[in-house]
Amino acid sequence: MPHTTRRTFLRATLAGAAVVAAPLPLRAQPKTFKIGVIHPVTGPLAEPGQACRLGAQMAADAVNAAGGIRSKGGLQLELVLGDTQTKPENGRVEAERVVNQGARMLMGSFDSGSTAAMVSVAQQKRVPFLVDIAAADPITANVAKSVKDGQQKVQYVYRNFPTGSSFGRKAVQYFTEMFKEAGVSPKRVVLMYCNDLFGQSQSRGFQAAHKAANPGWDIVEVIPWPEPPSDLSTEVSKAKAAKPDIIAPITRPASAQLLLPELRKQRLDIMGVVSPGSPGLYEAGQIAALKEDLEHVATCVPWANFKNPKTNAVAEDFRKRSGGKTFDTNSGYSYDGIFIIADALERAAKLDDPDAIVDAMRKTSYGGGLMQYGGPVVFNELGDNPNAITTMIQILGGKPVAVWPKAAAVQKFVFPRPKA
Amino acid sequence: MAVGLTLIFGVMRVVNFAHGDMMVWGMYLAYVLSTRAGLDPYLGFALCAAALFVFGAAVQRGLVDRIVDAPHEMQILLMLGVALVMENVALLVFGPEPIRVRSPLGAATWYLGPLYVDVARLVTFGVAIVLTAALWVFLYRTDLGRQIRAAADNPYGALVIGTDVRRVYAAAFGIGAACVGAAGALVSPILPFQPSTGLSLSVTSFNIVIIGGMGSLPGAFVGGVLVSVAESLGAVFLKPSLKELASFSLLILILIVRPAGLFGRRAS
Repeated sequence: MPHTTRRTFLRATLAGAAVVAAPLPLRAQPKTFKIGVIHPVTGPLAEPGQACRLGAQMAADAVNAAGGIRSKGGLQLELVLGDTQTKPENGRVEAERVVNQGARMLMGSFDSGSTAAMVSVAQQKRVPFLVDIAAADPITANVAKSVKDGQQKVQYVYRNFPTGSSFGRKAVQYFTEMFKEAGVSPKRVVLMYCNDLFGQSQSRGFQAAHKAANPGWDIVEVIPWPEPPSDLSTEVSKAKAAKPDIIAPITRPASAQLLLPELRKQRLDIMGVVSPGSPGLYEAGQIAALKEDLEHVATCVPWANFKNPKTNAVAEDFRKRSGGKTFDTNSGYSYDGIFIIADALERAAKLDDPDAIVDAMRKTSYGGGLMQYGGPVVFNELGDNPNAITTMIQILGGKPVAVWPKAAAVQKFVFPRPKA
Repeated sequence: MAVGLTLIFGVMRVVNFAHGDMMVWGMYLAYVLSTRAGLDPYLGFALCAAALFVFGAAVQRGLVDRIVDAPHEMQILLMLGVALVMENVALLVFGPEPIRVRSPLGAATWYLGPLYVDVARLVTFGVAIVLTAALWVFLYRTDLGRQIRAAADNPYGALVIGTDVRRVYAAAFGIGAACVGAAGALVSPILPFQPSTGLSLSVTSFNIVIIGGMGSLPGAFVGGVLVSVAESLGAVFLKPSLKELASFSLLILILIVRPAGLFGRRAS
């Protein structure tokens, strides 16, 4: 055995020192990557907002449990939670607060109003922002335009959610296909909507798509109501006077609870209630409150892909952690959102430069989502995911079930609805 | 609903900003009674009124009593605080989902030729008339009622002739809360509610009370009818989303033409 000389001793010590010294720059980095996650956790939209928050938390837990961001030394995700209280202006306030608390990315925020308010913070402070839920087109389109016009350098806002206009296009397409499949030809559709940013954007998208597609049915009356409404009897009388075959409502949870019983009370003789897409028509709480009034109601929503076994596992876990709630659009897109962020962080060249994260976001092609997509998650020139599409679901036997397009259908739809 | 608010204001000159939230509590109570004890809200409203009476009297004794003579802004802060606490307690206990009470009556409709009558609304309307009338009788025909009116007109004078003004105030606040508790239970099968509903209810009742005249019972009643008719007509002749324009325009009109409200007495 060779004895230790001065030279070998020195060499060994230096090598050891190098090993010890090497990870230092890594250690100097914070141990977690903070993501500001903002939703309406209190106020009228608290129900879906809390579902979003839980979805995001479950996803972050799952990412962390699987070893964090592996390419960055197992960096763990930490959510800095924000609450808009369902007030649009708080989108900005909360975004600023979480960024000041160290959030280096943003995700949120369910309603288009507060999401639009968060955008200005993301662009000003250069914080990459993934919109998990919010449909209004201008949210990304405005930023994309100002980048294109050279007013801003980089687009920090990306969205993994169907846009208002794509909601409309898909709804008109599914309506027409379903009518055809059912062998009926309803002519008169009455569009009713809640008059807030979401409702306006949804109804405009639907009307524009209807005009462009020119299908065999007409929108004979358009009836907005102030949200939240205290009474919808006059609105429904007005709809009834238009002799509709189909009522196409765009609701919020509270207004759905007023609208559907009112439709029954005034005994509208219609083939069915088919929505171009809105909350309030399929959530567990709504089904419990509305029971038979929701049966056979169909709506066009972003929906989880329950043909994927992983979705069912996460849904089961969600049910346990939420005290019995369904894993749906809201929780699902927030869940996917965190995974898309994690995927971008994994691929980003470095994390201390927001533009490097944006670069990675742009090159996203993520196939692991739990929602029903038309392909992998990618972002187009506007920052939107063209593969985020809607599914027509229907309440059958007190449960929301995917019924259209055929590829996504778990069950056959019931339309026209059986006469009472 | 507005009757309770006007009573509280008329007697104590305290604007009850927690009014809508008290109503929401009445609704939740009706919900609990109906889901746990199977009690229909059209019967359970009396219990809700009783519970809210106790609550209202307690709020008055514990909190409002300390600031009856304080400037209005202090009272507004206190009542807003009470409203915040009430809303968030409801949020903690019942969660954020909008819910409604199911009652067989709530689903019934009568058809009179081309007209249809919502039985639930009709019953609610009837009970509201009866309650307002009962309250009027109470205020004008009973000793406690007379004491309440005396304290409202001149607290010092009432004190001089031996009225226990604090007790009267507590009773008045309790009755005001009871009215709104009953109202909450009665509309709970018609109107879905969630903790945040309180604010819009408060705004509506302020609108009604100001139109009718602060502190006037018939004013509150007539104001309520006017506001709802204005909103319905607004929905028919304007866009439905502009119906609130009709009721608030009415408010502005009344404020310009009769600042004290339709039945209000001009402040001396």
